[in-house]
Amino acid sequence: MASDTEYPLTLTNCGTEISFSSAPEGVVTVGQSATEILYSLGLSDRVLGTSVWFNPVLPEFSEVNAGIERLADNDPSFEAVVNRRPQLVAAQYEWHVGPTGSVASREQFHELGIATYVMPADCDTKDNSTGGDGTRTAAFSPTHVYKGITELAAIFDVQEAGKALVTDLEAREADAIAKAESLELPPDLSAVFWFSSPDSSVDPYVAGRLGSPGYMMEKLGIQNVIQSDEEWPIVGWEAIARSDPDLIVIARMDRRRFPADDIEEKLNFLHSDPVTREMTAVKNGNIIEMDAHAMSATMRTIFGLEMLADSLTTLSFER
Amino acid sequence: MVFRWRWVWLAPSTLFLAVMAGTAIGETAIPLETILKVLANRLWGAEHAVDRIDAGIIWNYRLSRAILAACCGAGLALSGVVLQALLRNPLADPFLMGISAGASTGAVAVTIAGLGAGVVTLSLGAFAGAGLAFSLVVLLARAAGSGTGGGRSAQAAGAIILAGIAGSQLFNALTAFIIAKSANAEQARGIMFWLMGNLSGVRWDDVTLGLPAALGGLLVCLWYRRALDAFTFGADSAASMGIAVRRVRAILIAVMALVTATMVSMVGAIGFVGLVIPHAMRFLVGNRHTRLIPASALAGAVFLIGADIISRVIVPGQVLPIGVVTALVGAPAFAVILIRGTRRR
Repeated sequence: MASDTEYPLTLTNCGTEISFSSAPEGVVTVGQSATEILYSLGLSDRVLGTSVWFNPVLPEFSEVNAGIERLADNDPSFEAVVNRRPQLVAAQYEWHVGPTGSVASREQFHELGIATYVMPADCDTKDNSTGGDGTRTAAFSPTHVYKGITELAAIFDVQEAGKALVTDLEAREADAIAKAESLELPPDLSAVFWFSSPDSSVDPYVAGRLGSPGYMMEKLGIQNVIQSDEEWPIVGWEAIARSDPDLIVIARMDRRRFPADDIEEKLNFLHSDPVTREMTAVKNGNIIEMDAHAMSATMRTIFGLEMLADSLTTLSFER
Repeated sequence: MVFRWRWVWLAPSTLFLAVMAGTAIGETAIPLETILKVLANRLWGAEHAVDRIDAGIIWNYRLSRAILAACCGAGLALSGVVLQALLRNPLADPFLMGISAGASTGAVAVTIAGLGAGVVTLSLGAFAGAGLAFSLVVLLARAAGSGTGGGRSAQAAGAIILAGIAGSQLFNALTAFIIAKSANAEQARGIMFWLMGNLSGVRWDDVTLGLPAALGGLLVCLWYRRALDAFTFGADSAASMGIAVRRVRAILIAVMALVTATMVSMVGAIGFVGLVIPHAMRFLVGNRHTRLIPASALAGAVFLIGADIISRVIVPGQVLPIGVVTALVGAPAFAVILIRGTRRR
């Protein structure tokens, strides 16, 4: 049995000490990850507004989510967040709420008496001061997601729900790994995760080895052909094509800022570009579509892991 | 005469070697033998067995990229030659006319602000922005009493440079506004990369646009080489030599704007080439445009191929924006030419 939270509750979150005298009555989320975790903890009635969406909300929450104001699809303004009069702002990324946050710094919220919480998955093993999407200092592990769930559950005094959610996710993770092990995949099976590209045929953003796609590959016995420690390094098609991975995982998202955000555009490129169409994965049809949100360090990483393990059962890897 | 003949042989062979280097050197190592086999297959219909991915990389990625780099380098250098002559200002370069700033605004408007609702590509946005900014600059210069027309020569040249600066500031501000308003880290990085120039997306389609643009620019410049010589002494002197100052200036500026906008829309805003290559070539071959035009085109082409090679291999596993390389490598090289050229005088 998880115990009730004793207030005042003080914790260190992404290097900042935060304190709560009672469970927050209202919260604004900056990031889909924090939003979905709060919904999963049964706290949707506390959510005053949401922002930063890559994919549609999880189907089980579509009704709940429809009743909550979406402040912005991407970065909300500082005032839009403050205007909802939240007691807490829960953010997925430090680039939104952090030292140089595009929405605001944590201090700016704290000055107004609004607490902030940044998902530990974005800072515990990650250096966001390196620019771009940050650099992982150690491999991502779902324990950082579980830590975020547990801490949010403690802040809102719903520790039982937090424990149940983590137990469920851990079980799903173990099942997916066991499924992949039973397949006896080739030992040198390799993959690349393509998120998007700034323009149609230019060098794409692909997953580095330490982020959440790196975790999925490691757990399922797949080698990432990209060796970078950066979260989403830009790597040339020449290098990707020559490494000729057995599997290409492409991100599906609602965002439409770069042409390659569209999954059809990605597929079209892979099949029509004179070099990529010669890749083994393209020729064998080993292209897997995955929600972009699962490729971020979130609870959905586990769902991505499940989906990838399921896909492996349907593919053949003859070379 | 001896010099001229040597030069004629030097130009195509230098260009050929540069393109070959651009094709042979890349992010991944491909044996020279494979490269020669692929080229033999493609150019002479030989039937050597080669890996299809290697073949694709060499032919579709690297060769097309090297040729387009050459076209862009030549086009930007030519624009610099023409503008420096017409405006009699050593600091004139194609980007002074607001072209780069406008292209940047067009690109961010499409990628970040979402203008065009996904139908307009980044390149098209950049081209439209470049055209819009250039038109505004010319209109402003005209309204100030000169523009591409005649007028008092020094005043006319001065007005268009000031209009270019004003236009650039305006469009740079718009770009900053859009980025500040809505870009996240990923987008800011994507657009930064593009603003500094990027040839990674180049394919043969781009060559079919870039090659005619560069060759067309070269022919127009060569056609007007004597007029450009005359402009070096000022528009009034040119008029007194029987040149239709207003018409020639309008044609040359419009053609160079078109060439620059075409290049920028494909590979981003690569600075330095248009400003510095013409100066470097002036030190080497003198002020006569009969020599200066082909020399600048050649030097621009070779320089940009070289810069692109360096941008691909200088940091293993990572590609640098080519604009960083053109400036970092080009500036010291230019300093050497500048110092030696001055001493020789």
